[in-house]
Amino acid sequence: MQDITKMRNIGISAHIDSGKTTLSERILYYCNRIHTIHEVHGKDGVGATMDSMELEKERGITIASAATSVNWNGFDINVIDTPGHVDFTVEVERSLRVLDGAILVLCSVGGVQSQSITVDRQMNRYHVPRIAFINKCDRTGANPYHVVEQMHEKLKLNACLVELPIGLEDKLEGVVDLIRMKALYFDGPNGNIVREEEIPSHMLDECKNRRQMLIEAVSDFSDELMEKVLEGEEPEVELIESAIRKGTLSLSFCPVFVGSAHKNKGIQPLLDGVCKYLPDPTEVENRALDLDDNEREVVLKSDPERPAVILAFKLEDGQYGQLTYIRVYEGRIKKGDELVNTRTKKKFRVGRLIKMHASEMEDIQEAECGDIAALFGIDCASGDTFCGGKVNFAMTSMYVPSPVISLAVFPKDKKSQDNMSKAINRFTKEDPTFQCYVDPESNQTIIKGMGELHLDVYVERMRREYKCDVTVGQPEVAYRETITQKSEFNFTHKKQTGGNGQFARVAGYIEPIFATPGSEQEVKDYEFVSEIKGGVIPTEFIPSCDKGFKNAMKKGPQLGFPIVGVKCVINDGAYHPVDSSDMAFQTAAIGAFKEAFAKADPAILEPIMKVEVECPTEFQGAVFGTINQRRGMIISSTEDNGNCVVESEVPLAEMFGYSTVLRSMTQGKAEYTMELCRYAKVPVSIASELKSKVKNNAD
Amino acid sequence: MKVHDLIKNSPIRVFEESINGGLGKGNIGVLASRHGVGKTACLVHMATDTMLKGENVVQVSFGTNVEHTMSWYKEVFKEITDFKSTEDAVEVYEAIRNRRVMMNFSQENVTMEKVISSLKSLIQDGSFSASSIYFDGYKLVDTSEDDIKKLKMFSKEMNLEIWLSISSNDINASYDDYGIPIGVRTYFDLIDVVVGLHYNEEKSRVIMTVVKDHKKNIPHITGVSLDPKTMLITP
Repeated sequence: MQDITKMRNIGISAHIDSGKTTLSERILYYCNRIHTIHEVHGKDGVGATMDSMELEKERGITIASAATSVNWNGFDINVIDTPGHVDFTVEVERSLRVLDGAILVLCSVGGVQSQSITVDRQMNRYHVPRIAFINKCDRTGANPYHVVEQMHEKLKLNACLVELPIGLEDKLEGVVDLIRMKALYFDGPNGNIVREEEIPSHMLDECKNRRQMLIEAVSDFSDELMEKVLEGEEPEVELIESAIRKGTLSLSFCPVFVGSAHKNKGIQPLLDGVCKYLPDPTEVENRALDLDDNEREVVLKSDPERPAVILAFKLEDGQYGQLTYIRVYEGRIKKGDELVNTRTKKKFRVGRLIKMHASEMEDIQEAECGDIAALFGIDCASGDTFCGGKVNFAMTSMYVPSPVISLAVFPKDKKSQDNMSKAINRFTKEDPTFQCYVDPESNQTIIKGMGELHLDVYVERMRREYKCDVTVGQPEVAYRETITQKSEFNFTHKKQTGGNGQFARVAGYIEPIFATPGSEQEVKDYEFVSEIKGGVIPTEFIPSCDKGFKNAMKKGPQLGFPIVGVKCVINDGAYHPVDSSDMAFQTAAIGAFKEAFAKADPAILEPIMKVEVECPTEFQGAVFGTINQRRGMIISSTEDNGNCVVESEVPLAEMFGYSTVLRSMTQGKAEYTMELCRYAKVPVSIASELKSKVKNNAD
Repeated sequence: MKVHDLIKNSPIRVFEESINGGLGKGNIGVLASRHGVGKTACLVHMATDTMLKGENVVQVSFGTNVEHTMSWYKEVFKEITDFKSTEDAVEVYEAIRNRRVMMNFSQENVTMEKVISSLKSLIQDGSFSASSIYFDGYKLVDTSEDDIKKLKMFSKEMNLEIWLSISSNDINASYDDYGIPIGVRTYFDLIDVVVGLHYNEEKSRVIMTVVKDHKKNIPHITGVSLDPKTMLITP
């Protein structure tokens, strides 16, 4: 029987290339899960153990989150290695959903980078308590103190160092534990042996100061500690630790660890920190929706005796068949138990139950609430909820961003076509941001996703894992259509010649939904208001009008993209006692919308990406140039120590192939990240270009 | 109220009158005061006004935090439009956002030459035709005369208005009655307009005094002052 209070479900997330995978690798090594260390870009060609997909090893990025269970000093830690590239954020979001705590990895040179901010925002959304690890303290230009300042400024985190590095850059020797006031050195070829010493005399004053800062920062979370501080007494180690834990769990404090995963320094104390400061499953409140009770929100209790509630958060197609990663929220499951998928209402039996260690697996007999495990051969989609007993719950829906880019794929022959549909079927189940449809006009298979790299990876996987020979078309941007002014409609749908007649009249207006300036709130895509009085349209037909408008908005008349940001108001109409029907009102609403849309000064919206380029200052001018050429808008440029970060907003349509341009122009010294920022109006000249292109294609 | 009226009725017009119609291209203007009197807000207000007029601006700051300055812009815009409701506030805000670039340096490592070369590459390579540049928190007291000359040359060459907000980073620095750090006097010949900001307790306003007005060196109080609540220029 496991002790649930000694269980930790943690994630490791960070900016690309901050060293997450290296850190995960070290954690596995120190917990005796692996016996040799392989580097991500290592010369031995084996690659890091967590990056199990072939493609990941080649590109040095982590695409899918591999869940791994380790044991550290009697604590069961489930580690989820999350992808760092923005294109794969849905993976990050999905892993965050099942985590109880996280390690935010920051680079001591790069500091808080754009993606660290994205990841941090995601952690806030899912209320994930976190501890921070400032990695790469051995690198030239390392400045962990500066990173802590940035955490305050940019992430608004109440962060405070709990360790100080002994030496920096190539002189990094070890770390000082500020709570116990001891110096820690990591001996042996792989830093396995932790040697505890007194603090070097030249650091003593600094350490005392920093310790004081730490104690003051956490004394808010413990009255007892506050009293001791005010009375000038020396607080006990346990007292400080419990205050840090309290602060961390309430998301109002973030302890910061330092070290270098690559140089094997500071990993063991970080693992202790995970056990000490991050919550166990009972300390986190999880909610589900009761499907039998009108989707009422219920709080789940981490009690193994209750009926099982399980979330499938990740699907993976392994060599033995489909593997479903699950998190047990309530109750326990054993081999042979019967569960119900609450989405499909299908019953199934639990076959093999396993624990994953990157690409190796271990059979287990049962999994209890709080645990992360994997099931074999279950037919489901990721995000499904399985329940045992009589409960019928669904875990709250996960936030899924809509795709911004699409690509046509053509299989070369019949065999490839079969394999491609298998592959796509699998990928769409695995990843909700990866979507696919067949264009009814051109009969082409179109895949949609979150960015060029995102789709690239799937196309590559089709070729490698499914052996299908495909060619791809030009990537296309997912535009949207909208209106810019109010316009009225008064439309009658009438067909009363022979057979069953149809009659409906709707009148009202459509108007754009605007955002308030400077407000962060998202604008609604569609709003329906009925101002019908006196029953001129019978109540039962009002939802029909709503439905009709919604249908009309699915495909805009300009480019055929969905219409957004429209408020439809109906205030008058007419009906016929015999000839009016649901269908008639829907058709009338569609007609009315078309009539009004043309008069409402329609516009096309395009996705604008927030692009952040980091490069040595000598290339600043060149980078400004590339942004300017791409209809981009430079927001800011920050220079520090010969490095500059240029932040800009650029239309996605102009960003295709940017990585190649940037690489060749800066001798590979620049890197960039990109994420969806907002939708904005396409300039008139480009809009007419787009329209004529659509027209030509249709002809 | 239309953008046109917003510009016409702006208190900045009153301020410009008191410095002979404005700073003028190729000139350097300075706002000086103690810390925390409201230079940044004042500078942002002036920049926002320029942006509303349809011109491009560059905001140069010398700290680590760009977001801080960005939020000032947001606040100032809200204040300006809340006073007089602008019809299409969203579109105006979007439009003026496009007319601004933030440049951030940490001054210890960056020389004036570097700052100027970055600005040049932004204006030339980035095709960002700025009409004025606002330096926030520039440590004029610590710079050399040479630096100011270079800046002056740059403003003439590129035909720009350059405004600097300055204060001393020495806690013990002394200030004159108008709020200007004494050390700045050394550079008076190189600067075209100097405005001192100081808080007047009796009036509970921040008084703006023009200490140098192009060729004239006679201090006179402007027709505007800062509202201590919003830190905006008000009549």
